[in-house]
Amino acid sequence: MNFLSDQRPAGHQGFRPSAVKMGHVSRVGIIVVSAVLLMIALPISAVLLRAIRPDGVWGAEAVTRILGSPRTWRLIAVTVAQALVSCACTVAVGVPVAWVLSRFRFYGRSLVKTLATVPFVLPTVVIGAAFATVLGPRGLFEARGTWLAIVIAQVCFNLAVVIRTVGAALSGVDSNQEAAARMLGASPFQAARRVLLPTVLPAIAASAVVVFLFCFTSFGVIVMLGGGSVTTVEVEIWTRATRQFDISGAGVLCGIQLVAVIATLSIHSRISKRRAVSSVFRARRSDRLPRSVAEWAAVVAAVGAVLMICGLPIAALFERSLRVGTGLGLANWQHLGSVTAGTGLSIDPLSALWRSLLTASAAASAALLLGVLAARVIAQRPGGAADRILLLPLGVSATTLGLGLLLIGGRPPLDLRGSLWLVPIAQMLVAIPLVVRAVLPALQALPASLGESGQLLGAGSIGRFWRIELPSIRSAVFAGAGLGFVACLGEFGATVFLVRAASPTAPVAIERLLSRPAAAGFGQAMALSCILVLLCGGVLLAVDYLAAGDEGLDLAF
Amino acid sequence: MSSSRFRGSSRFRRSSGSIRSSTFKRSRIATCCALAGCILMLASACSSDTSSTAKPEQDSSSKDEVVLVTYDAFALPEDAAAEFTKLTGATIKVVATGDSSTMLTKALLSAGAPEGDVIFGIDNTLATRALAEDLLQPFQPKRIEQVPDSLRLDGKAGEQLVPIDTGDVCINIDQEWFANNGIEAPTEMAQLADPTYRDLLVLASPVTSSPGLAFLIGTIALSGEDGWLDYWQQLKDNGVRVRPSWDDAYYSDYTVSGGDRPLVLSYASSPPAEVVFSDPKRTEPASSVMLDTCVAQVEYAGVLAGAAEPELGQKLVDFMLSPAWQKALPLSNFVFPVTDVELPEVFEKFAPGATKPLSLDPALISAQRDAWIEQWREKME
Repeated sequence: MNFLSDQRPAGHQGFRPSAVKMGHVSRVGIIVVSAVLLMIALPISAVLLRAIRPDGVWGAEAVTRILGSPRTWRLIAVTVAQALVSCACTVAVGVPVAWVLSRFRFYGRSLVKTLATVPFVLPTVVIGAAFATVLGPRGLFEARGTWLAIVIAQVCFNLAVVIRTVGAALSGVDSNQEAAARMLGASPFQAARRVLLPTVLPAIAASAVVVFLFCFTSFGVIVMLGGGSVTTVEVEIWTRATRQFDISGAGVLCGIQLVAVIATLSIHSRISKRRAVSSVFRARRSDRLPRSVAEWAAVVAAVGAVLMICGLPIAALFERSLRVGTGLGLANWQHLGSVTAGTGLSIDPLSALWRSLLTASAAASAALLLGVLAARVIAQRPGGAADRILLLPLGVSATTLGLGLLLIGGRPPLDLRGSLWLVPIAQMLVAIPLVVRAVLPALQALPASLGESGQLLGAGSIGRFWRIELPSIRSAVFAGAGLGFVACLGEFGATVFLVRAASPTAPVAIERLLSRPAAAGFGQAMALSCILVLLCGGVLLAVDYLAAGDEGLDLAF
Repeated sequence: MSSSRFRGSSRFRRSSGSIRSSTFKRSRIATCCALAGCILMLASACSSDTSSTAKPEQDSSSKDEVVLVTYDAFALPEDAAAEFTKLTGATIKVVATGDSSTMLTKALLSAGAPEGDVIFGIDNTLATRALAEDLLQPFQPKRIEQVPDSLRLDGKAGEQLVPIDTGDVCINIDQEWFANNGIEAPTEMAQLADPTYRDLLVLASPVTSSPGLAFLIGTIALSGEDGWLDYWQQLKDNGVRVRPSWDDAYYSDYTVSGGDRPLVLSYASSPPAEVVFSDPKRTEPASSVMLDTCVAQVEYAGVLAGAAEPELGQKLVDFMLSPAWQKALPLSNFVFPVTDVELPEVFEKFAPGATKPLSLDPALISAQRDAWIEQWREKME
């Protein structure tokens, strides 16, 4: 199969994936990729089938009903608008912060960078809960049920995507280039515009598209903060399927959303092609201490923005978890182990957490295994069909996936509804693209010669994978494992369809607790959210500092 | 083959400098990776162990547990439940799955692989949705003859859905608020669209909540199939607020619970509930009821098809019609019993039964319900 390599364009000589890697392991890889693709495609097609074949009879009734309703188009417009606004706000905040963080060296910089990333790894339900405390009745101001609250929460959640992606591009810019431009007579503004901007623009665009996609299909945040009055296509799918029992209508909406997601993803892959991936090249360190007052002010503003947007809601969460009546106390934490009447939960929050941890680690392990194998196949053919389809679950709404799994996993020949398998399968499918995204750049950056020299020295294909490839991409694998785990732990949109009332996961438990008026439930939800913050934050710290070293986590969108 | 290998080796020379950082002979790293892998595998093995040993919830409910699927706001009458345990040896485990429409949809989505044995809380507005699918297992309910004919369902439906309680969904009025603000409280449905009562009403959504759907049906009964959408347009123009569930509307928005709306969609039996649950103790309820807005609601129970404990399930449904359960219902769930049992004093005093509640032909409801909800959403959302 080696001749395949000859047909590939000869860009990035020396850094393209090894031709020798194709072999025994890759055949396994191709099987894995096909299996994963099937697992993603099956639920989606089950949902779409329901749209045109409700109750076992072909018919366009649902399609005409949904497409013929002005409300649907209003909903689509509103969904796109909120995603655009959220995306614009995220870029407006994220790019300057990324610039400051990459340009200036100051005490606590990496801590700020980590803090900005924490919300991204948190379950969306926890973000929703955090903002429900800040923007709730007893918070700063009441904004629940308004788009303002949702936009702020989306900015908080997605800030990391912009900061990390743009930050990586910025630190890839050799400061000598800018200095050279200055030497040749360019003003600082001209130098930034003509040298810095063109290099970073693709990264900004790519991150903006990803943020748009996340906001477009955002679910947990809107369910938690929308208060029922604010809804998007994603939430409407859920409402139709689980409230109105209108599965075919939900299927039509899933189809509409799928078209939008695929369009967005193709824009993303177009932009990505223009971006040079070169994590092996280390640019010269271009950061320095801030010198002027203006530079210090920029640093203070950036740090302040991160603290306000990402720090404050999390701090509020902890404060609220300790609030008991009018004073402070640990009662909310102590009650986590007990079932409280009126909270809508039939098991105690700690059991829900424990169950979540088990499910998430099983799902994440499977996702890691499949994701790494899939990434190896994709590394051979970047931009291929597998690459695109594997990105789908990242963009395809979680609710579509959940509904689809419920439809195919709930038929007599294969009825998994009563078993505990559906939830981990859904979590795994959501986590695989994250693992692939984390591992892929490292794989692509591996010099082909590495594997080839291994082969020359007599290593077999498994040996090459195990002894050469895997150790070389170890930090990326750690990062993928961490990201996959937090994604599984926080999964809500698909889980909410599949979970049984008697065995909720932690995010579902939080949503249930907060949807009921009982004060005890509110306290428990806060404490449980705090535990998830600590868990996910801990995983992020481990990935950021232990595994990825000083480069930090490469989100690589 | 050979050409590619040759090219490969030339590449080796070019890139050898940059690989030095990722030396591949560090066996320590390999060990590390292997170890991490092992831990992950172990974790997954552990959890898959538990998932295989922790059987589906219906299996784990052994002979002495019957699982009751119901809505969030349901409160198990503890004493009656204890009596059921004494009688059968089985304890009742309550699994609440959201508001009543949510509960029903969830049950429909898991029809055949149910989350429990008995479902309670399907009401007359949604009954046909439950009957259309193979959700319930028919059986002969024992005490059904004690239920008035008007409440019973005919034919096979009567073997699937057993009426357990009734209630009237009505607009409640915060009397104190109206007295303090010097406004006369409304008495008729039409007045709710009057500018005098602008921004004062909070309702529950008919999409997600059964009282909300009952009220929607009440407006159709009153304004007719041609006029009801106009009425809702007037309500909308008059600043009506719609909450996803009754809980939200009553506990967050109603002035009696500390909210900002003195008119709320609730039950005719809410005033006695205010007296019973008041803190500090009240002797008189804070709310009164707009009797002209009342819509009759019947709540049914049934045994879920595929239940792990169908016999126990049937026993529980039968027990729900026993005097013990029926007597306990008013003060635990603030609904009226369907059998002839004595009402608590606070009910006699403060829960006026609606004299002529609004209602529609069940067949019409069944045929039009989903279309009405769709039209309502089009108009209001």
